Amino acid sequence: MNLSRFFFVFKEGFLQLFRTRGLSTAVVVIVAATLLQLSLFLGISRTLDRALGSAREKFQMAVFLTPAAGDSDLKRIQELLLSDSRVASVRLVTKEEAVQDFRKDPEIDRMLQALGENPLTDSFTVILRNDDSQKLEGLVEKLKQDPRIEEVDYGKNEWETVSNLTRVVRWGGLILGGFIFLTALFIVSNTLTLALWARREDFILMARMGAPAWMRTGPYLWEGLFQGFLGALIVVAFFEVIRHWAGLVLQKYGGFDVLINLALTEWESLYLTLVLLGMILGFLGAYLALQKKWVKELR
Amino acid sequence: MRFRAACRNLQYMMIQAFHLTKVHSSGVKVLDDAYFSASQRSFVAIIGESRTGKSTFLKILGGEEKPTSGVLRIDHRDIYGLSDPEKSQWLSEVGMIFPDLKLFPDKTVEENIHFILQVKGASGEGEKEAIGKLLSRAGLEGKAHSKPADLSSGEQSVILALRAMIFRPRLLLADDPFQGLDHKASSLLFRLFMELNKAGSTIVLSTQQMIFLEEAKKAGTETRIQWMKLDQGKLHPLEEAIP
Repeated sequence: MNLSRFFFVFKEGFLQLFRTRGLSTAVVVIVAATLLQLSLFLGISRTLDRALGSAREKFQMAVFLTPAAGDSDLKRIQELLLSDSRVASVRLVTKEEAVQDFRKDPEIDRMLQALGENPLTDSFTVILRNDDSQKLEGLVEKLKQDPRIEEVDYGKNEWETVSNLTRVVRWGGLILGGFIFLTALFIVSNTLTLALWARREDFILMARMGAPAWMRTGPYLWEGLFQGFLGALIVVAFFEVIRHWAGLVLQKYGGFDVLINLALTEWESLYLTLVLLGMILGFLGAYLALQKKWVKELR
Repeated sequence: MRFRAACRNLQYMMIQAFHLTKVHSSGVKVLDDAYFSASQRSFVAIIGESRTGKSTFLKILGGEEKPTSGVLRIDHRDIYGLSDPEKSQWLSEVGMIFPDLKLFPDKTVEENIHFILQVKGASGEGEKEAIGKLLSRAGLEGKAHSKPADLSSGEQSVILALRAMIFRPRLLLADDPFQGLDHKASSLLFRLFMELNKAGSTIVLSTQQMIFLEEAKKAGTETRIQWMKLDQGKLHPLEEAIP
């Protein structure tokens, strides 16, 4: 698109926006309401995801070695664990360290003294990466095949529950968010169709004069894009007000604590996402409106 | 030799229509096996009573109403077989003055004229001055920033005509352009048509107004006008009407 075409589309789009102020306002409000819903929903699902993430971080895997495991086995198994992408970190707990821990309980200490020797074996405490929850079974199976590994303990049921919950939250969020977006797209598209209907005479006149397709449709697409942008700006402004002015009040009562305490960079990425989503919503709405059969029949 | 000359003549023709028939959805036949041809730079005036199909014929030439049957070639092309971009391209060289091809109600007079220049790809430096000059010639310089609703119907008709002519179309189709105009405005419009024709545009217009005949007589032999009459679906040449 050359510069004069760009200016034409830009100017005509703006003029149309003001000519049908009522409908334009409706589209901007719908986009803003949708983005507000989406961002609150995004906030809730992020908070849940974080809570589940920190729960997952508490899970550790304990790998107990056989009494016959020597120094070379320790080194080999440690390397085996560290080379696995599912493993975040590995800490060796020698049988001496383990027995020291046990001796803190006086009753166990008495039993150990009666026994006369250390019955424990060396073990590894393995911290797992968050993202690889689904592939944990494979790691456990691989470790169990090693003859120097006696037992692998990782709280299987709790891990699976948290992993499943995380999946539900993520997929549920995606589906519900997608549903909200599609509903809004339907409403925005129909409102923009009304705007087109109100200006159908102009549309026909342009076609009869020989205006090329970009001249007829370009301003509408730009208008949709801009309305989406305006809707997003309203939501961004709303959040800025909440963050700077109402933040302290809300923090006192706990309500939106997590949302308000997001780091600055996360707010920026949220705003950018909202602006992009708003523009996509407006542009797609206008595009779908222009694809309607009666609009195409206007020539 | 004669055949070659005939071919050359045919090649020179801008509009050629054979066996043109148009039957409206109501069943009324407005064109019945009509023949028409116009060479480049010609000035054709079609006269006829109202409701004889003059408007329909011009709309057919403008690519707006497909004939029921027959052959129509403009610049050796079937305009009803053009793709959308090709049609836009073709229309960029065609000016139309049709009563229903109104001005944009939300644009000022100046914006309406500027818009057609943009549509036709003819906008550029000095266009504001050109618009001002044209409006001033039509005595409408004070109306440049008025909206169509603030103009009289006569003023609107003049603006419609100016809009169709400012980009110097290769082909100008004018359907009853003198309708509702006073004598002064009609004379001005007629002069503008003549100038446009002299500058190389082909003009096909229809009219019922006798003023046009009077103005044409005044113009004398300056411009040769090809007179035709549309009667009972057929176009007849009216050689005797040439002033």
